[in-house]
Amino acid sequence: MALLEVNNLDVRFAMRGGEVRALRDVSFTLERGERLGIVGESGAGKSVAAFTILNLIAKPGYIAGGEIKFDGEVLNTLKPKAMQSIRGNRISMIFQDPMMTLNPVLTIGEQMIECLKAHRRISRKDARAIALHKLNQVFIPSPEKRLDQYPHELSGGMRQRIIIAIALLLDPDIIVADEPTTALDVTIQAEIMELLLLLCEKHNVGLILITHDLGVVSQVTQRTLVMYAGRVIEQGPTREIINDAQHPYTQGLINALPQMATPGSRLNQIRGSMPTLTKIPAGCAFNPRCDFAANICLEKVPAFAHSGNCKVACHMVDAMVAGERWTPIITDANGNGATPTDNHRTEVNT
Amino acid sequence: MIAFLIKRLMHAVLVMFVISIISFAIQDNLGDPLREMTGQAVSEAQREVMRDEMGLNDPFITQYLRFAGNALQGDLGNSYFYKQPATEVILKHLPATLELVMASSLIIILLSAPIGVFAAIRPRNWLSRLFMGTSIIGISVPVFLTAIVLIQLFAIGVTVDWFPSDTTWGSVLNGMLSTDGGMPSYGRGELVHVAGTWSSGFFTADGLWHLVLPAISLASIMLPLFIRLIRAEMMEVLQSDYIKFARAKGIGLKRIYFLHALKNTMLPVITVGGVQIGTMVAYTILTETVFQWPGMGLMFLEAITRSDIPLIVAYLMMVGVIFVITNTLVDLIYGLVNPTVKLAGKPA
Amino acid sequence: MSQSNTQSSNAPVTPKTSSIVVPGRWQRFRESYLVYSFKRDWMAQACLLVFIAMVLGAFLAPWIAPADPYDLASIDIMNSELPPAWMAGGDPAFLLGTDAQGRDLLSTILYGTRVSLLIGFGAVILQALLGVTFGLLAGYLGGRIDAFLMRMADIQLSFSTLMVAIVVGAIIKATFGGAAFSDYALILLILIIGLAEWPQYARTVRASVLAEKNKEYVDAARVMGFRSRRIMFRHILPNTLSPIFVISTVQIANAIISEAALSFLGLGMPETQPSLGSLIKSGFDYLQSGSWWITLIPGGVLIVLVLVINLLGDWLRDVMNPRLYKG
Repeated sequence: MALLEVNNLDVRFAMRGGEVRALRDVSFTLERGERLGIVGESGAGKSVAAFTILNLIAKPGYIAGGEIKFDGEVLNTLKPKAMQSIRGNRISMIFQDPMMTLNPVLTIGEQMIECLKAHRRISRKDARAIALHKLNQVFIPSPEKRLDQYPHELSGGMRQRIIIAIALLLDPDIIVADEPTTALDVTIQAEIMELLLLLCEKHNVGLILITHDLGVVSQVTQRTLVMYAGRVIEQGPTREIINDAQHPYTQGLINALPQMATPGSRLNQIRGSMPTLTKIPAGCAFNPRCDFAANICLEKVPAFAHSGNCKVACHMVDAMVAGERWTPIITDANGNGATPTDNHRTEVNT
Repeated sequence: MIAFLIKRLMHAVLVMFVISIISFAIQDNLGDPLREMTGQAVSEAQREVMRDEMGLNDPFITQYLRFAGNALQGDLGNSYFYKQPATEVILKHLPATLELVMASSLIIILLSAPIGVFAAIRPRNWLSRLFMGTSIIGISVPVFLTAIVLIQLFAIGVTVDWFPSDTTWGSVLNGMLSTDGGMPSYGRGELVHVAGTWSSGFFTADGLWHLVLPAISLASIMLPLFIRLIRAEMMEVLQSDYIKFARAKGIGLKRIYFLHALKNTMLPVITVGGVQIGTMVAYTILTETVFQWPGMGLMFLEAITRSDIPLIVAYLMMVGVIFVITNTLVDLIYGLVNPTVKLAGKPA
Repeated sequence: MSQSNTQSSNAPVTPKTSSIVVPGRWQRFRESYLVYSFKRDWMAQACLLVFIAMVLGAFLAPWIAPADPYDLASIDIMNSELPPAWMAGGDPAFLLGTDAQGRDLLSTILYGTRVSLLIGFGAVILQALLGVTFGLLAGYLGGRIDAFLMRMADIQLSFSTLMVAIVVGAIIKATFGGAAFSDYALILLILIIGLAEWPQYARTVRASVLAEKNKEYVDAARVMGFRSRRIMFRHILPNTLSPIFVISTVQIANAIISEAALSFLGLGMPETQPSLGSLIKSGFDYLQSGSWWITLIPGGVLIVLVLVINLLGDWLRDVMNPRLYKG
């Protein structure tokens, strides 16, 4: 049994204009000590997935269906007090912007000690000692001084290290990291990711790394999920996804990397943009931007096809796995080429 | 810390300088000490001689320096009406205003924080909506109107006969909505001499009873303001990342609200509060007028009506001093609460 | 057959031309978010209705008031202190009762509202003109001018605008005497309140200007050689209008309250040309003797007026604030 099981998660936001489905039928698992990456564009639902695990989705968001199981216990129906004892204790979270994450009017020491005291009966002295120990683990120089300093007195990289230290304070089983390096300088990014990798390996801590950066994912994670418009569209070992992506979207993402473009030519873009969650196309949400779409893509949401070690939600891949022919052409009822409508192919004149 | 205090001192000197120039200009142009000292029988020529002797024909600068010198020693001339040193008159009226302001501030501080925080945490609760609704009305009603309404309700009394008084339910409802009045609406009541010119109303039941309606009136504008401010700031603070992070750490809600959120909420509240002190002083004038509360504000108003220039000048100077002191205190408090402000000159 | 024409993105594509109708200003306004949310908010509609009713009532006073309170011939002291028509002892000719001189309260209130509104709007126009100009200058020119103007604004604000108004009013009254003050009270009050409150506008505009100053269109305008004044007023100012509108409603309410406060203290409109504030003042003396309507009814009218303006201002602020999340 996996340490963390997310099954058919359905998260919605009740807005004035109607309901927005932020996550549809999202499922994945995490074994103890495993490192999973969740990749996708902004708005794909990655952060929502992360927050939902710790049940931190604020109204008007709510879990409409599915379940989250952690170490055998169902999380999403847990009482608030019980959930509180899991947060920071067995599952920790790291956010994106280290400046905004730390409370500007409290000292570092205060913010670390309170975390320890919230979950264990422990004296301030002992808590301080543990905090110092963790600060050493993340290679913070002169940790004694840091405890009495305020966040604005430290650099961005140091703040993020401290946040990682806080995440590790209670020796959690899983760390959920929501774009932990996006707000940092490129040079610091590498350091932080290395640190995270080192610590997770050393203490056998599971990691869910949410990012839009494929480079980071390939460096750190063992398995990867690709999300699009609230759904998981491809899952599998990171190596395989990077080297041999099956879903047209993932292929587009990888092709869009600057390294994949030939020098002097334009970068390869995926045409169009991800739909807003209120206007998701019928069938496969990616069909307006997909070069391989056929009629069935406009009608049916694809189920997962198993290809190698990966699961891919794509009709074409499904057909190829089954050995069938696939014509990437959209036709209307009479078999003629259908004219573009809002629902599918939209030309982008550049 | 020293640098901060020195900077504030210089700022204080600047403000007092501006006020003193204005005050002196008023005195110079409008005040005429001769009026008080001589009768009709003194001829114009004699008045000129006296003016020369008193130095009233000296250049502006000389007169101003004399004025400033005297002021620093506490001598602001004699009140035309009271025939006493203006400084004494003001100091006699000061305690009344101070006590009124203290009582109001107490009400504001004790009520605004809990209500504001509650309205921020549970914005859809009916109680919150009630508070926010009444606070809009509170802001819209000028302070003197609140005072008048309070007097009508609680000093004079209101008999309601909307419901048929010959039925039991009618008369009960009428009774519930009517008030007897009877609360004092004039003056300060029984006072106890504390020290120097300070006679306090805090130590007698009668004095305190007299304090109730005026203090509520004075608080009536500022209280809704602070409630709305605290609620708005708190709601914004609750959206920030560090609150989410605190929740993700598993910190209890109470600590999150009352330490993590409240401390951040209070910073802009302190700043706004400091600015409101000026408004508070203006409102004391209005409140004291309605309740005939013998404080500085009423004294100032009467001085205006009587053209008692020395008292007007004394009031302006006193108000200047009060502003400077309170603003410095507020800045100090803010610097102590907000660690990002370098008060003590600690290097980052 | 197939209509797929996606592949060769290198081939030049002529853009489709179509006749586009640019909607006129009125059309744009009608379809704007402002009108849209207004239509859906019954509270805003009710407030606007009440406000318009009061403004109309006030300005049509000479025609719709039952009596002319300034016509000394029409006042009969025998009618003094009559309660409102619905109470015992009331007279249907005097719907809201009469004051101590026998003047019909409804009429005095209508005229009084007119004075209050005139002063309110007048003062705000003055403050806006002064404040916006100073704010633009301070924000755009920076340096010494900025420091000086903002220092003045700070001092004035820290003393609270009401205090400044009271002091200036007191000085003027003491200098020119009570009679002269009353003669010119309307203009003087507009001046006093306008001068007292300009810092609010100045600060708001300056903040906007500082934000806009760094945007590219300002650099573009400079490069094109426009003079500072033109850039300030024709390029930057329109982009700062939104916060100006938002604080204007609050400032109108504040101006009306300030005028009422000044009149109540005797530093405002005289009894011969009363505003709501002076009506309240003269009625206050009769509160203890039981004629509550003389002071409380004008008070009620003042409260409703200010309340309605504040609510509209709140609504306007909510609508114009893009950050506010409506869930």
